[in-house]
Amino acid sequence: MEESLQAFFLFWLAGLAIIVGLMLGFFSKQSPIRRFGMVLLTVGTLSILATPWTLSFSPSSAFGHFLGSILGPSVLLGVGLYNIAFSGHVPVGRLSESDKRAGFVMVLIAMLWFEGMHWWVLTPTYPDEINRYWLIFWPTLLLVTASASFVVYYIVKTVGDERYQEQRLLLTLFAFTSLLIILGLLRDGPHVESNHFAEEFWLAGADVFGLMVGAALAILLFALVLSIYEAQQPLPKQLDPPTSQQLEKAAKHIAKHVGGVNEDE
Amino acid sequence: MKMSEPTDVSKLSNLLLASLVIPSAFLGLTFVLHPGVGEGTLVRFANSMLTSFTMISFLLLLTLFVYGDARKRPMAPFLGMLLCGLFGTALSLFFLSQGDLLMEDNGSVRAQALSNIIRFSTTVIACAIAALIVLGMLFASLMHTPPARLEFEEE
Repeated sequence: MEESLQAFFLFWLAGLAIIVGLMLGFFSKQSPIRRFGMVLLTVGTLSILATPWTLSFSPSSAFGHFLGSILGPSVLLGVGLYNIAFSGHVPVGRLSESDKRAGFVMVLIAMLWFEGMHWWVLTPTYPDEINRYWLIFWPTLLLVTASASFVVYYIVKTVGDERYQEQRLLLTLFAFTSLLIILGLLRDGPHVESNHFAEEFWLAGADVFGLMVGAALAILLFALVLSIYEAQQPLPKQLDPPTSQQLEKAAKHIAKHVGGVNEDE
Repeated sequence: MKMSEPTDVSKLSNLLLASLVIPSAFLGLTFVLHPGVGEGTLVRFANSMLTSFTMISFLLLLTLFVYGDARKRPMAPFLGMLLCGLFGTALSLFFLSQGDLLMEDNGSVRAQALSNIIRFSTTVIACAIAALIVLGMLFASLMHTPPARLEFEEE
C-alpha cells in the first residue's frame, strides 16, 4: 500500500474513529450504538498507539509514541483518584481502606513518573531525539494545572461554605505546579535545557490562549446559529380561554379537594 | 461601617481576571528569565486559534445529531454549523497559503495543517489531564469531608 494511504487509514481515520466513538459513546441514548462507539474508540486508540511500528516512516508516528509514553501515568492517575474518591463518604458501593491506600500509591507513582520524564532518564525519546509532542505536552500540563487550580480555588472560596480543606489542597497544588514551572525555567534537566523548556512554555501559552479564543468563537457562533433557528420557529398553537361550564367544573373539583382548616387542628 | 458584599458581576469578573492573570504572570516570568523567547508567538497563536475554531465547530456539528433527536432533525442549524466549520477550514488554508504568514517548520500547506491538528490534540490531552488532576483532587477531598450535621437550637 502507498505510504500516504497507509498513514490515512492507520492514523487519520483512526483519529476520526476516536472522535466519533467518543461522541457516540457519551451522547447516544441507545445501548448498541454506545457499545459501537466504545469499540470505535478502542480500535482507533490501538491503531494510533501502534503507529511507531505500523507507520515508522511517517513523522505522525511520534504522536503515537507520545500517547504510549503518557498512557501509564495517566491511567494510574485516573484509577488512583477514583479509588481515593470512592473510598470516602459514599452511600453505595464504597471502596475499602486498602483500595484507598492503593489509590494514594497510584497517584504518587503517577506524579513521580511524570516528574521522571522531565527530571530523570524517563523522557520519551523517538526515534533518537526527545519526542517533540512531549515538549508541547509537559509545559502545557504545568501551565493549565497551575492556572486551573488557582481558578478552582477562587470558585471554592467564593461559592463553598467552610471548604477550608479543599482550599488548602488547591493552594498546595498551585504552589507545587508553580514550583515545577520555576524549577524548569531555572534549571536544566538531563535531556531538556531550561532555555528549551522556556521556549516551549511560551509557545504553550500561545497555544492555550489560541485554543480558548477559537473555542469561545465556535461556541458563540453555535449559540447564534441555534438561537436564529429557534427564533424562526412558529409559536405553538394558543388554546382558547376556558368556557364558563369548564370553569364551573374546575371550581367544583377544587372545592372537593381543598377544604378549610379548623382552628382546633 | 459594614463593607459591601461583592455582587455576582464582580465575582464573575474577578474569576475571569484570575483565569487570565495567572497564565499571564507565568508567561511574564518566562520572558523576564529568558528574554530570548517569543519568536513565532503570533503565528502559533493564530494557528492554534484557527485550528481550535475549526475542530470545535465540527465537534459541535456532531452534537447537533443529539439536538436533532429532540427537534425532529432540523437541517437549518446543521447547515449553519457545517458552514462555520468549512469557513474555518477555508480561512486556515487561505492564511497558510499566503507565503510565510502562518507557516512554521513545515514544507507544505497540507503538512502545516496536519501538524496543527496533532498539536491541537496534544494541547487538548494536556488540558484534559490537568482537569483530571484538579477536579479529581477536589472531588476526592469533598468525598472525604464528613457530612455536615444540622444543629437545632434547644426549644
